[in-house]
Amino acid sequence: MVILKRKEQVYTVEAGKTLEQALRELGILPETVLAIKDGRIVPLSHRPADGEELELVDVISGG
Amino acid sequence: MKCSVCGREAVIKLRHAGLRLCPEHLVARVEKEVAGAIRRFRMLAPQERVLVAVSGGKDSLALWHILVELGYRAEGLYIDLGIAGYSARSREASQVFARERGFTLHVVSLEKELGATLDGLTRLARGKTCSLCGTVKRYLMNKFAWEGGYQALATGHNLDDEAATLLGNVLRWDEGYLARQYPALPGEGKLVKKIKPLVFLSEREMAAYCLIKGIRYLYEDCPHAQGARSIALKGVLNELEDRYPATKISFLRGFLKVRDRFRPPEPVVLQDCPGCGMPTAADGPCRFCRLKGRVSHGAAA
Ligand SMILES: [Zn+2]
Ligand SMILES: [Zn+2]
Repeated sequence: MVILKRKEQVYTVEAGKTLEQALRELGILPETVLAIKDGRIVPLSHRPADGEELELVDVISGG
Repeated sequence: MKCSVCGREAVIKLRHAGLRLCPEHLVARVEKEVAGAIRRFRMLAPQERVLVAVSGGKDSLALWHILVELGYRAEGLYIDLGIAGYSARSREASQVFARERGFTLHVVSLEKELGATLDGLTRLARGKTCSLCGTVKRYLMNKFAWEGGYQALATGHNLDDEAATLLGNVLRWDEGYLARQYPALPGEGKLVKKIKPLVFLSEREMAAYCLIKGIRYLYEDCPHAQGARSIALKGVLNELEDRYPATKISFLRGFLKVRDRFRPPEPVVLQDCPGCGMPTAADGPCRFCRLKGRVSHGAAA
């Protein structure tokens, strides 16, 4: 499983997919978030390995 | 995925620009786009003093950072609106940012200037919070910039903000707003020039820029933005952008080509407010002074 944390929310998805595929599965438009690991940006083409944990930062702000 | 510029490992793909970029070249692109917008719309001359409206969010902090990086004399202005919880956090983020870099940040308190916080004003004036907020912020930013002798007032509006505003204006065919939606509005009398140097940069690029540059911004929306129309408009544009990349940038660039066909309904004659001396289109006191009157009335009652 891959763990994606977005503010207080935690999503889990199966490993083996690209980040873009995983986000679409979760109903998140891929370009509305940035995925971060160890303080670095992870591209949408990245395939997270089993047990990998990523943070999702929303890029769309209100107002 | 390789960087379109240097061939090293890319971290972000910008479909609307046809680019894949490594951290270094994402930073270079953002700064180049800002410099380009400043040149194209003649936003700033090198010696001019610019006041950046700072909210503690990613766009305004990044804008301030970039303007200084590009060599401009930029100072920050934070307006403390007194929104419970949120204002303290956004003020702290702005102050920490400025302190760490040795930048000059000015703080203006709405409660001190008006006699009420935004929360208090909303209760008294029975208006919509976001529209009241816009009114008082625009007034205080301009007044501070004018009195401080700044030649320009810069805001962090990005491509997503401008495309959403444009869609909102088009849906209402509001010719007055369309005529005034422009990346650089010249100054006039006591109205200071207003500039939006991030107008061609997406929110995604700005968030990436902050992460790469280590700019710690407040990652939290204003509580009043919940359910705001601007968020719905951004949502619609993001759905379109997902299916048709470059929708937002072509929408905005196309508009800028035809914008001069829109005219304000009638030329506005500005006069000085008898209360504060700042320009107003109204006969008698300006909107801010009228709100202030209502606040002191309400407080006395
Ligand atoms: Zn590169
Ligand atoms: Zn006034």
